[in-house]
Amino acid sequence: MIITKKRDFQELMENIKNYRSFFLIGCSECASLCGTGNQEAIDALTEALKAEGKEVTGGFVAKTGCQVLGTKIELKPFKDALDKTECILIMSCGAGTQAAVEIFEDKPVYATNDSLFLGNMTRFQMFDERCSLCGKCILDKTGGICPVTACPKGILNGPCGGCKDGKCEVSPDIKCAWVRIYERMKRLDRLQELCDNALEAKDWSMSIKPRTLVARPEKKEEKKK
Amino acid sequence: MSFKDILNSGKFVVTAEVGPPKGTDIKEMIHHIELLKGKVDALNVTDNQSAVMRICSMAVCKIVLEHDVEPILQMTCRDRNRIGLQSDLLGANILGIRNVLCMTGDHVLAGDHKQAKPVYDIESVQLLSVVNSLNNGKDMAGNDLKGATDFFQGAVVTPEANPLEPQLIKFEKKVRAGAKFFQTQAIYDINKFKEFMSYARKFSVKILAGIVVLKSAGMASFINNNVPGIRVPQELIDELKAAGKEKALDTGLNIAARHIRQLKDENICDGVHIMAIGMEDKVPIIMERAGLL
Ligand code: SF4
Ligand code: SF4
Repeated sequence: MIITKKRDFQELMENIKNYRSFFLIGCSECASLCGTGNQEAIDALTEALKAEGKEVTGGFVAKTGCQVLGTKIELKPFKDALDKTECILIMSCGAGTQAAVEIFEDKPVYATNDSLFLGNMTRFQMFDERCSLCGKCILDKTGGICPVTACPKGILNGPCGGCKDGKCEVSPDIKCAWVRIYERMKRLDRLQELCDNALEAKDWSMSIKPRTLVARPEKKEEKKK
Repeated sequence: MSFKDILNSGKFVVTAEVGPPKGTDIKEMIHHIELLKGKVDALNVTDNQSAVMRICSMAVCKIVLEHDVEPILQMTCRDRNRIGLQSDLLGANILGIRNVLCMTGDHVLAGDHKQAKPVYDIESVQLLSVVNSLNNGKDMAGNDLKGATDFFQGAVVTPEANPLEPQLIKFEKKVRAGAKFFQTQAIYDINKFKEFMSYARKFSVKILAGIVVLKSAGMASFINNNVPGIRVPQELIDELKAAGKEKALDTGLNIAARHIRQLKDENICDGVHIMAIGMEDKVPIIMERAGLL
């Protein structure tokens, strides 16, 4: 999921200082799990804004905030509150914010969160980055642990000289990705494979931005034409 | 004689290093090059060592060449993508630089520009393959070169890495990717190093043992606590302590010389790489005491 973090309140207030009234949109997916876009987060921000003398015309948790069409339909019952507000606050990720920009052509849209990374929830509201969406997955070759992401240098062929007692050069708080990969491959009795196959340099053309994907066959044809 | 020929001749080889300064005043650096000229077989030139921005390695290698010393161009993958690395390799080759040491490189967070974007488009094993490929007249994308390079390429290895096995797997990948010689991280325990060498001797590559002078017992403890992949045995720390403050450095020089002599006399490895780290003037003293001058 996309990991988001609430912006510092003073920073947010500075960004939105020119507006008086707000409509808040959360998201029931990742941002809810992160506690940045669930109903509680909306309620808390509503209170905080009111305490600053701002008006909140309404708010709701969108099912999937990055889904433009669905969110548009979900917003229909909120027409009055939306007409009354000067500004829309998005409490999900950067994709959610940009979905709102598409929906609200004439209203300013501001983000209340910073979007950090694609990760796993390891414990309640504790997150680790696990995948960098590189476009060509090599997990099959590394025992299912991603060195592109878990190694700060993205090394594909083994630990660097900075690995100290199994810990990473960059931070003693994280275990060296290559020690983890080694240990896992050893447990699976696949060390020979690790040794025999030097991984080639990655093809970064697979992750040139912005990426698009058309997964529907009939649309693919249309796009070609 | 080229560094490659000297290594292949079977002579016990000595390399040292020069660290390019930050800034354009190179008087001291030139002094160090002149001091080591005619004594060492080649000089490594570090590449923005510890991710601290300094004069580029290639320019200093050229100066080393002009002083009739064989340079070893250290190349890290931290600051250049594959286009930059290959282009610099071609450039180095036409300047007459023949030896290249391929490394991944310390992370930018270790250095003095922590906000920099680290590159790591490729890493040490892949860089070795790139050099191999340029030597065979092809670039990384498979395009033909108008004139191939003729590099003698090496890499680094940490014989005391903990855990060791993943490091050895990587060592073997480096050998297969074309590394011809290795310079090791500093070693202090000759018996443990012998174990590493009995493994490394299975491969037809040359190994130069890393030597770093211990200036004091404090430095030794610091290394043990903070530097990855180096372990100073307690006996050496005791020896430095017993020498007292005044004589500690001299004792450190003796230890280095003693180790080098043993490595050579017992034919344990193919040479040594002395990393003086600011004490370049001490390198000739060590060599003298080791019986190499
Ligand atoms: S290799 Fe890593 S970054 Fe690339 S897709 Fe797989 S998990 Fe994600
Ligand atoms: S210590 Fe391990 S995880 Fe950290 S940079 Fe080196 S290889 Fe990567």
